[in-house]
Amino acid sequence: MANYGMAFDYKLCINCRACEVACKEENGIELGARKHRLWINKENEPTGDFWNLDRTKSRFMQMQCQECEEAPCLKACPNQAIYRDSNGIVRLYNDKCDLSLDCVKACPYDARYVDTRKKITDKCIFCADTRLARGETTTACQITCPAKLRIFGDLDNPNSEISKILKERKYFQLKPEKGTRPKLFYLE
Amino acid sequence: MKVIEVSRRKFLQGSIALSIYASSSLAKLPQITTKTNMQKAKDIPYLCNMCRNKCAGFARVEGESVTKLNPNKYFPKSRNMLCPKGNAGINALYDKDRLKYPLIRIGKRGDGKYRRVTWDEAYEYIKNSLIKILDKQKDNRSTIAYCNGEGFNKDEYIKFFGDKLGSSNFLDEGSICLNTKLGATMLTIGDIGEPDIAGSDFIIISGANRFESLITPDSIDLLQNEQKLIVLDPRCTVTALKADEYIPINVGTDLAFCLAMTYIAIKDELYNKEFVQKYFKDFDKYKEHILKSEYTAQWAESKTHIPAHKIERITKDFFGSKRPLYYLGRRSVWVENDFQFRRAMVLINALAGSINRKGGIIFGQPIKLPQEEVNAPMYANAQARFDLDGIVYGSSKGGSWLNFREKLLTNSSPYPIKTMFIRKHNLMQNMPNITKTKKMLEIMDLVVVIDTLPSDTALMADVILPECTYLEREDMVVSFNRLEPSLAMRNQVIKPLYESRSMQNILKGLGKKLTKPLFEISKKHDEDLQDSIKELGEKKAFTEGGYDLSELYKNDISIRNRQLIEKSFGKEVYKSLKEKGVWYPNMDKYHREIFNNSYEYYPKDKRYYTIKRKFKVNCYLKKLSDNGFDAMPTWREEYNFVVPKDKFRMITGRYISDTQTASTNNIMLRELMQTNHIWINNQIAKRLGIKLGDEVEVSSSIGKVKILAYPTNKIAPSVVWFAHGYGVNSDELTNAFGNGASDNMILEDKFEKIYGCATMHHTDVTIRRI
Repeated sequence: MANYGMAFDYKLCINCRACEVACKEENGIELGARKHRLWINKENEPTGDFWNLDRTKSRFMQMQCQECEEAPCLKACPNQAIYRDSNGIVRLYNDKCDLSLDCVKACPYDARYVDTRKKITDKCIFCADTRLARGETTTACQITCPAKLRIFGDLDNPNSEISKILKERKYFQLKPEKGTRPKLFYLE
Repeated sequence: MKVIEVSRRKFLQGSIALSIYASSSLAKLPQITTKTNMQKAKDIPYLCNMCRNKCAGFARVEGESVTKLNPNKYFPKSRNMLCPKGNAGINALYDKDRLKYPLIRIGKRGDGKYRRVTWDEAYEYIKNSLIKILDKQKDNRSTIAYCNGEGFNKDEYIKFFGDKLGSSNFLDEGSICLNTKLGATMLTIGDIGEPDIAGSDFIIISGANRFESLITPDSIDLLQNEQKLIVLDPRCTVTALKADEYIPINVGTDLAFCLAMTYIAIKDELYNKEFVQKYFKDFDKYKEHILKSEYTAQWAESKTHIPAHKIERITKDFFGSKRPLYYLGRRSVWVENDFQFRRAMVLINALAGSINRKGGIIFGQPIKLPQEEVNAPMYANAQARFDLDGIVYGSSKGGSWLNFREKLLTNSSPYPIKTMFIRKHNLMQNMPNITKTKKMLEIMDLVVVIDTLPSDTALMADVILPECTYLEREDMVVSFNRLEPSLAMRNQVIKPLYESRSMQNILKGLGKKLTKPLFEISKKHDEDLQDSIKELGEKKAFTEGGYDLSELYKNDISIRNRQLIEKSFGKEVYKSLKEKGVWYPNMDKYHREIFNNSYEYYPKDKRYYTIKRKFKVNCYLKKLSDNGFDAMPTWREEYNFVVPKDKFRMITGRYISDTQTASTNNIMLRELMQTNHIWINNQIAKRLGIKLGDEVEVSSSIGKVKILAYPTNKIAPSVVWFAHGYGVNSDELTNAFGNGASDNMILEDKFEKIYGCATMHHTDVTIRRI
């Protein structure tokens, strides 16, 4: 029983994408650029001419399911295939998914994709059925990250590293106007 | 599926080629990832071999299969991480294109026609060829050239072909990599040293792309510590993008920047006088030379395109900071002045006192590993190497590839080279001017390739011997690093697949086959051996002379490791290497988690920042002036960056997802970066009518390639760049073949004369939209 979330020290990202490969290898994700549980957004290329580049707005953003407390995908599914597990992670009953794609359309973060092998809509579940299920305490993306910029843990435990860092540092969430209350936090 | 494509907005905003061109080719990729399961699995410590770093990991083995590679938290060098390439190591192991069986050529060289043979047949073929060649060359063992790219087994390989078989012609990657840097450091401060990134508070990096060409622990320490970072580069790399300050610079003019820094430091007396007085040799000469040459900031601006005020400010900040470090880099040699440039950087560090101290170039204290003794025969007729003729210093170990190749092609070697044994070294793609490399291989009577993949070079072989990958073998224990030293061992994760073998087992088999017939040739031609036989009798002359070629590998590597480590360090150390893959003194006590899976390996007061050692900083190298070169870093007018109108200076580098050509066939890494693109300045591209994704033809004096264009403001107007590793010719490499362009098809082959290193950034090219 936990309430898992993840914080990103996002400015440290160098877009190496070790996270993406580790996720695919751990969770057996299909190959193909469109098939992934997490990805890095390259935002705001430098502007200006070469000798006077402005790099200040350039950043690499870690993207994946935002584990919304008010999850639009969960509400949108006509088959009640999406549920929240005991660790607060939004999960899917694979056999109930009929690929109506309502969840894909409902997600403001583009976090879901179609797994063509299993014929389901898939997304990041914090390695819930691989690493966490085996009793490990880290996700594949987190443990491999060269910058160690992903901080994963139990938001309900005040002594967890994620709880501590969220108390210490300022952060923002993605698309707060959507009212989804994500459990992913980007540290300033 | 249409809905998905529209809704996946992230692909529409993606700026680089991958997402734009990926769709058609990705559809062809088979499904190759497997989800890790819930069953009991073994976690076996190993050392990665996807690039030169050798990071440590644990391989998850379910049944007989490797399903996941995880980082190893015990290894100080790699700091509990694996990069994308490290993670994709599984796909190197299970690459369907791997070399699986010994092969003997039945078609023409290069056409890829081979027949599958047994190991014995392959050895037999090699034996019969070698007998003829060596007999004809009267037992001049040096007629056999052998080469090996970087890696743990390089020294073992040298022991076989150099010490045992007796050839002096070994070549490695040093002369197409970083020998100038190693040499410049060695000759200036008497050691190659190690940069202490974590301990520095102010770092200047010239061109080394530490966030896309990862070096552990340097790259990790740059990420995980706070220091002011200034990056000079003619291209805005990710390292430049993430730096505190990015300084665009003209190609090959970093030496001018360094000279101006030196000038300002000396003129304004910013340097560490105490250190200079204590350690410098010939400082007065250097001072006089620098001041007299008037390497002012204004002068450097005209060479580098860096505003003078910036050069002045950076110099003052550098010498004004507590622990400054001018990072020496480690990548290919750029232009003719490379040795002088590397030396100028070392001297700047020394002027700041950043030698043998925290945050500088440290000497440290590596853990000494005992070496096994080799009983090496003395072959009277084996001649000396010739590839360092005309080179001032050069590496007597790995030689000079371009000089070697040139001498063979121009028939100016003192004796013929008729055989090449090539291991883990993709000659056909790794040095400028591929056409010449092909010609060199064509004049051989015997080419043997030992590798894991059917590379372009493998297709030039007469005999191909399949080696297993790094996950299928144990290697000899290696000592790593100086500041936070450790021992690490590559354990065998699974048994070799197919009929592949470890290098030691390959050489053991070859040694057994060759020992007697080659001894017979020595008996025939070698007068010293004849005398020895007269004196000792044949049996004793053979045994005491060390002519048994396979005796190095009498014991399996696991036995050799155990004996070596238990004898010198004890059973507990060996156990640690088997179970954790790593050992260093007081590991149990020192190793502790700091935060979020980041570890401390040595407490700060136990790191070897400063050691007791006598050393000198050599400003003046007389051997250079004796040979007609500058004894001190000096700018020459021919170093000026000038590109003819309508041409571009071609520079090279790589993506984070690639290690030269070795990883281009890796299906997971191809997913990250489908192909290479040529970076061209966006304003120039607009003028030439070149748009993103257009196919362009790039031509130099030696060849032309076709490649897709990536117009960007992140590269200087007169410069183009594309990544090394693509444009593979071997159609046996399904994922790599026909993909992108090879830089070495168009880079002109020139080498500098101090270390005989190929320069990579001197070629001017033209570009035309097709």
